[in-house]
Amino acid sequence: MSETADKEEAPKKDMKDVLAAVENIKCMVQKSQKFVEEFLSEPMCGKCHPCALGSYEALVRLKRISSGIATQGDVAAIQRIADDMLESSRCIKGKDTAKFLLNALKTEAFSQHLGGHCEEHECPAYVTYRIIPEKCVLCGDCQKACRYNAIQGEKKVSYRTGYLPFEVRQKRCVKCGDCLPACSYGAIEVIEEKIEALV
Amino acid sequence: MANMVNLKIDGKDAKVQEGTNLIDAAETVGVHIPNLCYMKGMKGIGACRLCLVEAEGSKAPLIACNTKVKEGMSILTATDRVVEIRKFVTDLIVSMHPLDCMTCTKAGVCNLQKYAYDFEIKESSFSRKKFGYPTDESNPFLKRDPEYCVLCSRCIRICKAQDTNVLEFSGRGVGAKVVTGNEKSLQESGCTFCGSCIDVCPVNALLEADRWRRGREWEYEKADSVCLSCGSGCSITVSSKDGSIVKINSGAPDGSVERTICAYGRFGFDSLYGDTRVTTPMKRVGSELQETTWDDALKIVADRVKTAGADAAVLSSGALLNEDAALLVKFAEAVKTKNVDSTVSLYSGADAMKSGGTDLEAADLIVLAGIEPSQWKRVLPALDGAVRKKLNNGAKLIVINGAEINIASKAAATLKGDEVKMLMELGQAMISKGVKAPKEMVEALASVNPSDAAMTAADLFMAAKMPVILCAPSLYKASANISLIKGDVVAVPLEANAKGIVAMGMTSGAKKFSDIIASSTKALYVVGEIPVSKRPDTGFLVVQASHMTELATQADVVLPAAPALESQGTIIDWNGRIKKVNRASEPAGGARQNGDIFVAVAEALGSVLKPVKEADVKKAAKAKAKVVFSAFKKDTGHDVDAAALIEETNKTMVNGSRLLWLKELDACSLTS
Repeated sequence: MSETADKEEAPKKDMKDVLAAVENIKCMVQKSQKFVEEFLSEPMCGKCHPCALGSYEALVRLKRISSGIATQGDVAAIQRIADDMLESSRCIKGKDTAKFLLNALKTEAFSQHLGGHCEEHECPAYVTYRIIPEKCVLCGDCQKACRYNAIQGEKKVSYRTGYLPFEVRQKRCVKCGDCLPACSYGAIEVIEEKIEALV
Repeated sequence: MANMVNLKIDGKDAKVQEGTNLIDAAETVGVHIPNLCYMKGMKGIGACRLCLVEAEGSKAPLIACNTKVKEGMSILTATDRVVEIRKFVTDLIVSMHPLDCMTCTKAGVCNLQKYAYDFEIKESSFSRKKFGYPTDESNPFLKRDPEYCVLCSRCIRICKAQDTNVLEFSGRGVGAKVVTGNEKSLQESGCTFCGSCIDVCPVNALLEADRWRRGREWEYEKADSVCLSCGSGCSITVSSKDGSIVKINSGAPDGSVERTICAYGRFGFDSLYGDTRVTTPMKRVGSELQETTWDDALKIVADRVKTAGADAAVLSSGALLNEDAALLVKFAEAVKTKNVDSTVSLYSGADAMKSGGTDLEAADLIVLAGIEPSQWKRVLPALDGAVRKKLNNGAKLIVINGAEINIASKAAATLKGDEVKMLMELGQAMISKGVKAPKEMVEALASVNPSDAAMTAADLFMAAKMPVILCAPSLYKASANISLIKGDVVAVPLEANAKGIVAMGMTSGAKKFSDIIASSTKALYVVGEIPVSKRPDTGFLVVQASHMTELATQADVVLPAAPALESQGTIIDWNGRIKKVNRASEPAGGARQNGDIFVAVAEALGSVLKPVKEADVKKAAKAKAKVVFSAFKKDTGHDVDAAALIEETNKTMVNGSRLLWLKELDACSLTS
């Protein structure tokens, strides 16, 4: 009963939607992570073990890589999962996911991440946000834009001197990137710096 | 007969029936293809992917559980490629499975443990996943621990195959969990506690509730026996440790439709250790029963039945073993009474109990005439399960019954009304469609005007390759007439060894069961638990039973008998098959097997009873009534309330075991 009812409901996300969701992500690790997340959220049917359990494990490993705590073993695990999923998944969806991962693994991205670099500066754990004091005009726009209250500093008032400079409080910063478009002076930069594990 | 197909499995030549899947085919040449989700006799679902094999000439690996054999195919079951996949999946499952094999009850029979061993997976190479699901221990029968679940869905599928439909999946993938509807407890979800899910669970996720630290598989002694609680007479495998029974599983061959037992068969053994068990002979002194010695009890009984002579009567339940029944007949001869009868005469004539057998596996149409097997009413529950499994596998059902019955909702045709009339209509409908029938039958049915439903049923019956009529014993003759056109007919009794007891000659030459109860006797010898709770008018009452039945409390002498699980012998089940009952544990205390007691009483009488030979039992089981045409009539005087009779004859077992919990639950009607 429930199965037929499901079919009549609004069309569910399929693999096309998954691909569309990751289109604008440049970093292959981020892209793969989002792909698997999206895949697990809807199209994955759970009818066979390699895909259902394998893609979940792949996600666990991808998260480790994107948060900068991964080792060579994690990449090897993803490679194994992708190989076996391609071989043993029941349907095309699982095989497509495996192919996506295999293609991602062919790029340099994974080994770069292990070496502490995220070329596209999209993996939060690999970058630090910094306000360039020379460029900052103390307007306070970034402070308003930050949802996490991670920017401290005093807005410039014309009759006062001795301002507290604007700075990113690293402990609070989640690297969402919202402050970048808010700054009209290009005073915020993203520098590559692998910080120690957040987890 | 299906065509045979030749194929090669790992280089070995195999010859199997067309339509066999690769796992079963490999088994015939001794090759095991690993699998977690496949269940023999049911459609493969290809979920676990452990059974992948490679076929020569095929690029992609094949799923062995749902690939059928093809002529000339050559299979390799353990190539590097498929072994890697097996390792991979096992590795993933181990990563979400507790690693406590050292204290796990299922150690030794756990499939995951076996495969982890085979594939050298000491510890998962993947990240450990823990869920923290609570364990369901809210009932005394089944313990469900989702933490151990490998998501094979065997329990869900077996539950659905039996139409009990209690279990289902919630969620997908790693987060999936086997749940009941709305995550209620089993007892609130219509569970019958048949425990079929325990039999199929490959790991420790489903288990008998009381198994903790009561031994593991390799410590058990196993005995193949039969449950005598009702007419289904199910094969069981009894596991015991240190002389006491720990668990009972279904004993029917793996993959057969009859591999279903019910809560009574699986959990009723508790009553062997219950308070109401009788283990010493007792005699009435004044107003109370006092323990005495066997010699004393035997002497009293022998004296009294001897004096009574032809005015003595012997009554037995239908759960007496063949060998014991044969001795009881001889015992009655020694006493010189013809009043010897069993509960069988309450619901059946002697002819119906000599009806032939059938091959239920091969049947593609089942007709239920006047019987209502029901797992929920606990009437022939295993037969109900078997029929439902067949229906879910594509067999058709015709229901002929005067009442509205549950299984009718699954029927392709339902003939509601007087059963004999409906059988006549069915016969006439087929004749009107041009089926050849005996001349007498054509004449007898000439005036019958079949209804539309009967016409539909006739079409089904004629289209079927192998129709089987399962009928109430009272409808045997009328049903047998239909089987003259096509198919088999089996009268289904309500007690396990009804057919055996009749075959052993235990049918009264004088007063029948109900007459004996109603009239006055000088001495009455009751064997087993009979549906009588008030002492009949008799000068002397002996009750020979394993438990203190209500009747036993009013007896003059109580003789402690060994229940079936402590007895050795055979039965002839509903389908006319001889089934062996092996002693699973020694008789408790002073209890003795029924037959031995008859021999001992006879000895006290001065007679020697010779035990029946195995060959004679076989001969008796083979002697089947030939199906001939007889008038379309119902045997009168055999109408009983099936549920009530089965309840009455199992009263001490239910009351003396954890089944009492179930009975009280039924009374609260939580399960309805």
